[in-house]
Amino acid sequence: MEEDEFFGEKTFQHCCAEFIRHSQQIGDGWEWRTLKDCSEGYMCKTHFQIKPETLMSHSGTSACVQTCLPIEEALELPLDDSEVTETTTGSQVIKYEYHVLYSCSYQVPVLYFRASFLDGRPLALKDIWEGIHECYKTRLLQEPWDTITQQEHPILGQPFFVLHPCKTDEFMTPVLKNSQKINRSVNYITSWLSVVGPVVGLNLPLSYARAASEDENVHQ
Amino acid sequence: MTDDKDVLRDVWFGRIPTCFTLYQDEITEREAEPYYLLLPRVSYLTLVTDKVKKHFQKVMRQEDISEIWFEYEGTPLKWHYPIGLLFDLLASSSALPWNITVHFKSFPEKDLLHCPSKDAIEAHFMSCVKEADALKHKSQVINEMQKKDHKQLWMGLQNDGEKKNQVMIHGIEPMLETPLQWLSEHLSYPDNFLHISIIPQPTD
Repeated sequence: MEEDEFFGEKTFQHCCAEFIRHSQQIGDGWEWRTLKDCSEGYMCKTHFQIKPETLMSHSGTSACVQTCLPIEEALELPLDDSEVTETTTGSQVIKYEYHVLYSCSYQVPVLYFRASFLDGRPLALKDIWEGIHECYKTRLLQEPWDTITQQEHPILGQPFFVLHPCKTDEFMTPVLKNSQKINRSVNYITSWLSVVGPVVGLNLPLSYARAASEDENVHQ
Repeated sequence: MTDDKDVLRDVWFGRIPTCFTLYQDEITEREAEPYYLLLPRVSYLTLVTDKVKKHFQKVMRQEDISEIWFEYEGTPLKWHYPIGLLFDLLASSSALPWNITVHFKSFPEKDLLHCPSKDAIEAHFMSCVKEADALKHKSQVINEMQKKDHKQLWMGLQNDGEKKNQVMIHGIEPMLETPLQWLSEHLSYPDNFLHISIIPQPTD
């Protein structure tokens, strides 16, 4: 990408296409969706996590424990009763949906997400907040614009939670400048999502990064 | 310029006569009278309906009250859209007053954003202003839309294939020839966006 080239919608769609190609190779579940008769589209992924009920009402222990676990790990977790104030009532399966859309106002991608129980009941902002790792919370609380709010999904028109996009440019610019300096291309979406995703429980396998640099070799 | 000043004044002081009725399935201790109010086109529902809320809560018990929400003919009303825009989109072809139903139960989680406080309304408004600012100053985006694109967009809004659409801003149907620049300067909402309603023309 050229120095002053802005991140336009075409570039966004191209980066998403590359990203999804790798996702399909490793079975990571991302797919592209469009509305009928519309050139606009977005990338989305759904996954399920187990949320142990007890940890939703923990006492003020400051242990940095991530309260949402992928299903495979949760089945092996030994419950430490001394850290919780209530006995185990059962686990809940939470469905998470992550959508990546393009904002033409800010000319950056934006991460929309929502979570619900299997019966369709949505998680409220305070439940989402509980699922966020402590170290991210401090940062989010400090910066009024680096925060999670409920917004209307631009294409679906439904309520989603959003990480505000106005600071994206700020942290992506050094990444892009550096990639030019060392003459190694990056996939904007891969780099960006690897930064914002973990804040809301979305982790990217490392192979995405390897794929991004491999794309460069293929196109040479 | 006098004509333009009139436009600005009419936009900013535009009001919609509205009748609020409590949803029939709400539990009340006695009958609730409808409440009439003139709603400012450029404001937001949750910002101007404190009196409506108080009026209906007087006949209800505390335990039957949760977050207030509004609905018109079965459609939940998005409080984060300017009032005038909601009216133009949903009720402009109906007779006045605008009949809105008030609910205190069964908040439609899939359709409406929560409005936890006045601060939330302010935050939303400021977010819109900020976004409009970002958009207006991305000159590349604006410049890429050539004059002919503007005309095409306008024509396209009016005609959706075989169907004809009504184009409305602040309850006004602007003439096709009106420059978008003028519309943007004079008919923008306080959030700095020019909200345009596209309404399918009712077939006679």
